[in-house]
This record gives sequence, C-alpha cells and structure tokens, in this order.
Amino acid sequence: MNQKHIIEILDNSPLPGLSPGDLELVKSHSNECESCARAYQAARLSTMIIGERVSSPIEPSPFFQTRVMAAWRERQALENVPAWSRLWRSSRALVSSMALTTAALGVLSFFAPAIPSAADETASTYSAEAVLMGQQSEDQMSYEQVLNTIYNDDDDDVR
Amino acid sequence: MVEEAAQEVFLKAFTQLDSYEGRGSMEGWLTRIATNTCLNILRSAKRRPELSVADLTEDESHWFDTNAGTAGDEQQTVEDKLVASDLADKLLDTLPAEDQVALLMMDGENASVKEVAEATGWSESKVKVRAFRARRKLRETMEKLLGPKAVGREGKVAQ
Repeated sequence: MNQKHIIEILDNSPLPGLSPGDLELVKSHSNECESCARAYQAARLSTMIIGERVSSPIEPSPFFQTRVMAAWRERQALENVPAWSRLWRSSRALVSSMALTTAALGVLSFFAPAIPSAADETASTYSAEAVLMGQQSEDQMSYEQVLNTIYNDDDDDVR
Repeated sequence: MVEEAAQEVFLKAFTQLDSYEGRGSMEGWLTRIATNTCLNILRSAKRRPELSVADLTEDESHWFDTNAGTAGDEQQTVEDKLVASDLADKLLDTLPAEDQVALLMMDGENASVKEVAEATGWSESKVKVRAFRARRKLRETMEKLLGPKAVGREGKVAQ
C-alpha cells in the first residue's frame, strides 16, 4: 500500500466519515508502516479535539440579551436621525476648525499693521532709470544730459 | 469573542430582516449571516505562528501523553475535555479563517460539502480544498507535537 495514498485518505475526509473498508485499510497499513501510524494517530487526535471544541457548551452571560437589545436600540436610534444631521455630527469638528481659522485670518488681514518688507525698501531707493543704467540715484544724469550724450555720440559717428 | 460574534449576528439579522425574502429557510439565512460574521471576525484576528511543543501547557502535554497511542475510546474527564478544547483553539488559530470554518463545519458539526457551500457562498470544490488543506495542516502540526509518542508502545496502532 502506498504511504501517500493512506495519508490522502486521511486528509480527504473526516475520520468518522471514512467507509469501514477505508478505515480497515488505514489501520492494517498503519500496523506495518510507522509514518502512516503516526499520521493516523495525528488524524485521530485532531478529530478528537475538534469534536471537543464543537461540543463544549458556551454559556452566554446573563446580560447577553440586555446587551443585544441595548445595541439594537442604539443602532435604530442612529438610523432614525436624518442624513444631514448624521453628516453634521461627523463633520462638526472639521467645519468648526475651518471657520475659526478663516475668521482668524480675516482679523489678521484687516487689523494687523502693514509692515513694509525688505524688498519694498530696496525697490524704493532705486528709480527705474537707475536700475536700467546701472547707476544709483545720486549719480543719475538728467533727461537732457542723457539725450545730449546720445545725440552727440550719433553726430560724432556721422562725421 | 463568541458573545461578540453572537451579538453581531443578532444585530445583523434584525437590521437585514427586510432582505429575507422567504425563499429559503430562515435557518439557512441565519446560518449564512452567522458564517459570514464569524469569517470576518476570524479574518481580523491575528493568526498564531506555528505551534511547537514549547507552546504547550503542562496539562496539554499530559493530555498528549494520555491519549497518544491509545484507541481513543477511553472516557474523557471534564478536565481532559477542557484541555482538548483549548488545544483545538490553539491549533485552529494557526489556520487561515476560511480553513477554520470549513474544518469546524465539516469535521466538527458533520456538515456536508453542499451545506458548507450554501452557508459560506463558496463553490463545493473550494469547500473541499479548504477542508483538505485544514486537515493536512492540523495533522502535520499534530504529528510534530506528538513526536515519538504517536505510535503505541508495541509499535502498533491501537485498534
């Protein structure tokens, strides 16, 4: 008898569900083969503990019914509340914090004193021309001087 | 955990009572709710890694000593039954949720493949595969736990 075949018989169906023929086959082979004997014993003990597990009575606590009914009422009460109310309950904290933040930002933007930034200060010391000409305002040429310089240069080029 | 599962089953049954169309039996409908609830609870529970001899309590080791190599028809004391039931819990915890359900229903409650398939909504081949895997895993773990005790003193399996 093939050892694998015996183990397959054991794994294929519960031990009490084996036909008398199969059971006799397993037992007789197990008397000759140690590994099959081991497998058979293990299957027998597995069946035994599973049987005990299923048949062990489970006594519910005396408050079980009360607890179930309380949970049922709670769930029903929750279902009777309108959808918008449930939505509000779940998002109340988020909406409140968002409103508070918006209000705080509004207050700050209207009432906080305007502090000029460093960039503004720098920009005010330079005129557009000074920036264009790469000069500071103190060294700045007047508009006429610029025109004269340009036209004089052009005249020189023509000559 | 059992009470929590039972409470959840009752609550679901109350809530989904409208969905019961009266086509099948009430028992079948409730069994399906119970099976699915238990499956969800078992899936969310953390699985125990492999069980070794070191994980056994003194009582459990004693239970193995007493029952290994015997015919298995000895009268079990109340304490023995409790130890066996705890041992079953430990061993079942090492299996995936689906395998536990298939094994308990088929080997524990003697349900047929068809009955398990109806209760779980699985195909019959899936039920067979799950039960086969569960039995094999349980047998292999049991063999490991039994060690050399598996075969009777005379080297033969008790008849």
